[in-house]
Amino acid sequence: MANLLWLQGGACSGNTMSFLNAEEPSACDLVTDFGINVLWHPSLGLELGENLKKMLNGLVSGQIPLDIFVFEGSVVNAPGGTGEWNRFAGRPMKDWVADLAKVAAFTVAVGDCATWGGIPATAPNPSESVGLQFLKRASGGFLGPAYKSKAGLPVINIPGCPAHPDWITQIVVAVATGRGGDLTLDEFGRPKTFFTSFTQTGCTRNMHFAYKVSATEFGQRKGCLFYDLGCRGPMTHSPCNRVLWNRQSSKTRAGMPCMGCTEPEFPFFDLAPGTVFKTQTVMGVPKDMPQGVDKTGYIKLTAAAKAASPAWAEEDIFVV
Amino acid sequence: MSIDDSNQLLKTIANLLANGLETKTEPFPETDKQFADVLTELRQLDQNDIKGKLVVGGFVNHPYGPDQYRCMECMYYLVHRKWCDLPELAVPVEPDWWCRLWRI
Ligand code: SF4
Ligand code: SF4
Ligand code: SF4
Repeated sequence: MANLLWLQGGACSGNTMSFLNAEEPSACDLVTDFGINVLWHPSLGLELGENLKKMLNGLVSGQIPLDIFVFEGSVVNAPGGTGEWNRFAGRPMKDWVADLAKVAAFTVAVGDCATWGGIPATAPNPSESVGLQFLKRASGGFLGPAYKSKAGLPVINIPGCPAHPDWITQIVVAVATGRGGDLTLDEFGRPKTFFTSFTQTGCTRNMHFAYKVSATEFGQRKGCLFYDLGCRGPMTHSPCNRVLWNRQSSKTRAGMPCMGCTEPEFPFFDLAPGTVFKTQTVMGVPKDMPQGVDKTGYIKLTAAAKAASPAWAEEDIFVV
Repeated sequence: MSIDDSNQLLKTIANLLANGLETKTEPFPETDKQFADVLTELRQLDQNDIKGKLVVGGFVNHPYGPDQYRCMECMYYLVHRKWCDLPELAVPVEPDWWCRLWRI
């Protein structure tokens, strides 16, 4: 039996919604098949008021073992570092987080707000939000760069806005079944099994990316969304086209650009007007190139790819 | 548009440019706002106002600028159809031409 506690800071509950929609395994499978004891969760927990406080104090004192501490949402420090804007069970949530992180065998941050601060930490960041161990790309966050949970791992970061349901449940199961030590994490604490390949890996528009044929409107079936509509698929680490959403599709398959939600900078360009769903350019050349490609190489590649592209690349091949 | 109609229109455009049609190559729409403004101007034209599209789009019948940018590398250019696929333009073009809506 592994005890799991899930708390929410500055959050919209999107990751909770996502978690409750998980299928492989489902949230119920966690309990029935994998022996996870969900001590408390904001949408599922039964305890209220004093009872909840008693349980939290029991965890902090070590009387109840805390195997997996899942945190959703940013750590709110406002006003003036006190954390009073986000109180929970009689004290600032950030104080609970500090105490619980000390006794947890594994600490898991779910969603962008918990991992890097996410949308709440967007400038001017009025809630003084930070992620558990990062603020955007800077290591540190609320728990500090040296933090390790009792099992010896830093915070396991499962980013996304929201995170895919199966990323959450599969990592929780790995940890609960004693395979947490097998997890390899990247420099941002993301499990490599999910966050080494790109959103573009498995995208159905890869042919159009290769032949430089652009989609010019949302939902078009032909064309790649990188050139005009701001798709960040080539530089975003996520398995969105390998582990499909609702087991059906992905943003890019449906004709919507990837917004790069698993990367620390999300939301990019602080959501300045004109930066969302629009490729940012300098004299017509994209500011952000596919990872590892430079401008000169990119222009040469474009000319060669276009010259070599077959006629069908310009047609809507998904309709007969 | 049929292939014949497209070829005919391409000839008409080539003639207009060869005869020295003055077009607005400058300013280059550097920001997305400026780009959107040019698109708005184009949308106000009649779809068949070819001359208007060429002028507002800043068309030239040769590569442009120090880097010699061309339709050929532009993301809106469809090589096989010799076609500009930017919905606001939607005209046949030659690979060595350029306009200020060029994007790669
Ligand atoms: S739509 Fe996005 S993810 Fe798909 S091929 Fe194009 S750039 Fe890559
Ligand atoms: S496609 Fe991109 S924006 Fe959408 S969920 Fe995946 S990583 Fe996030
Ligand atoms: S947008 Fe301009 S440069 Fe690009 S293909 Fe069309 S006419 Fe050519």
